[in-house]
Amino acid sequence: MALIEVRDLVKTYKVNVRNKGILGSLKSLLVPEYRYIQAVDSINFTIDRGETVGFIGPNGAGKSTTVKMLCGILTPTSGSVQIGGLSVAKERKKIAAKLGIVFGQRSQLWWDLPVIDTFELLKSIYRVPEQRYRQNLSRFSEMLGLEEFIRQPVRQLSLGQRMRAEIAASMLHDPEIIFFDEPTIGLDVIAKEKIREFLREVNREKGTTMLFTTHDMQDIEKTCERIIIIDHGQKIYDDSVEQMKRQYGRTRTLAVEFDTYYEQVYLPGAEFAGEKDNKKWFTFSKDEADVSSLIQWLSQRYKIVDVTVKEPEIEEVIREIYRGGVQTVESVS
Amino acid sequence: MRAYLEFAKRSFQNNLVYRLDYIAGVLNAIVMIFVNISIWKAVNEDGDSIESIQLQILVTYIVLSFLMQLIYTMDEYIVENKVRSGTISMDLLKPINFRLYLFSMHLGTLAFRIIMQFIPAFIVSAYIFRILPVFSLQMFFYFLLSAIMGYLILYNLNYIVWMSTFWFYWSFSLVTIKDALIMVLSGALVPLWFMPTWLTDIIAFTPFGYIFSTPILIYLGMMPESDIFDNLTRQFVWIVILFLVGKGLWLMAKNKLVIQGG
Repeated sequence: MALIEVRDLVKTYKVNVRNKGILGSLKSLLVPEYRYIQAVDSINFTIDRGETVGFIGPNGAGKSTTVKMLCGILTPTSGSVQIGGLSVAKERKKIAAKLGIVFGQRSQLWWDLPVIDTFELLKSIYRVPEQRYRQNLSRFSEMLGLEEFIRQPVRQLSLGQRMRAEIAASMLHDPEIIFFDEPTIGLDVIAKEKIREFLREVNREKGTTMLFTTHDMQDIEKTCERIIIIDHGQKIYDDSVEQMKRQYGRTRTLAVEFDTYYEQVYLPGAEFAGEKDNKKWFTFSKDEADVSSLIQWLSQRYKIVDVTVKEPEIEEVIREIYRGGVQTVESVS
Repeated sequence: MRAYLEFAKRSFQNNLVYRLDYIAGVLNAIVMIFVNISIWKAVNEDGDSIESIQLQILVTYIVLSFLMQLIYTMDEYIVENKVRSGTISMDLLKPINFRLYLFSMHLGTLAFRIIMQFIPAFIVSAYIFRILPVFSLQMFFYFLLSAIMGYLILYNLNYIVWMSTFWFYWSFSLVTIKDALIMVLSGALVPLWFMPTWLTDIIAFTPFGYIFSTPILIYLGMMPESDIFDNLTRQFVWIVILFLVGKGLWLMAKNKLVIQGG
């Protein structure tokens, strides 16, 4: 049985429509007008134990709303979310004990207290046995390098330190599922990499199910196996990251550096995409042309200094999916 | 239960951080008591209708009332701030009972106020204003019981107002109205025996009089022993009623909740 089951999830927000100007706002006060916004429109999916899933979608697509309903802090208008067979809407406390949450923009640490005090408090909130707590704490300290700042008040930490503390805090009770909402927002490249590596290791070691919402495609590429794309409140894509790249990432870019500047270079099977000095870029579809024949064609006619072939970045693939208005792909699970 | 005890401890500690606020609170209470006693003395010298009531009883009443108000002060915007900033999601994502959590935070603050504010302020004002001792040892226990229930009535009443945040997002006006009602109708400012009968008859049907007036009357020995049990029962009934209303509102609020911010 799947760990998380989402069935026909719908959330409609009632939004107060305000009119412009003083007269308008007076009118809104006396005769409120409402508009209904379908933030999430009938979403279905299941997630198995140990999966790492990325939720992505443009701003306002409904992914935060979905995640809030998944962890039980927002009541769905209709439809259901079940975690381990329990209804999230009804069993908030039981579900909460199984969850770990990391919000990049919101802290669960006590602002004025040293990090370790928050950890101690979490220990009693989640009733973590002493021994388990010690083990986890020393393990996380080692992996995330918490030692250097664990006794400092949270308000004195740098963002990177705070995020590491935040992530450790969400895992002290060995949650079955962890939600990450923009976990690496505002962090530098090294800090991001350190956190991703830690998450991969925890997932491997403990089989923790992890769900991410992020705009950082590197997060997705480096930590997620599966990707769910939400747009206009609907699921528009749900498959493995590998499959997505195979399916949509068919365009390749060929960058060629010539010995001198050529006015116009014609390359059959590929499209001219730009130039700079002696360099030119061509895009081509993997199905219609193959690299070796393209290079051969060029090298027979021009003098080439350097050639590189670039696979599509995950960003481009996703941009293509957003733009393409892809048909809903039902997951096979 | 461990967790809630920890919350209360944290809340106690948090109060320690704001030392200036603590001293200001004590001074403010003593000044308010002084002002009010002066007003009553002035009124009394005019030879008004309060001649029949011993001034000392009145002074004791004022001191007790203001000191109780001092320690019964609650953070009126605790829920509003959580709802408006969206941090309530962090609380709801913990496997804890939100209402108990809120209550234990307040108990921590209450403990702080009793130890650090009530006791010193009581000693100072007992010395300056020469208040009457409690009527009898028996009455002291009744007073304690009644004062605890008075706190619970006020807490549950406040809780209902706090819950309104989920609908209005802004509870300032409701809090103000509630404070005014309590100030006038609970006997916090003016003892209820000065009120016209028609008003006290109405007050008897509201929870307000049971917050401050009842415990203080018991302390002063002004409530006949035969009435005490009756009053304590009424206090208890009000706690139950207000608690149930608050609980109902909370259940509705949970469904209504919209977490602010991404």
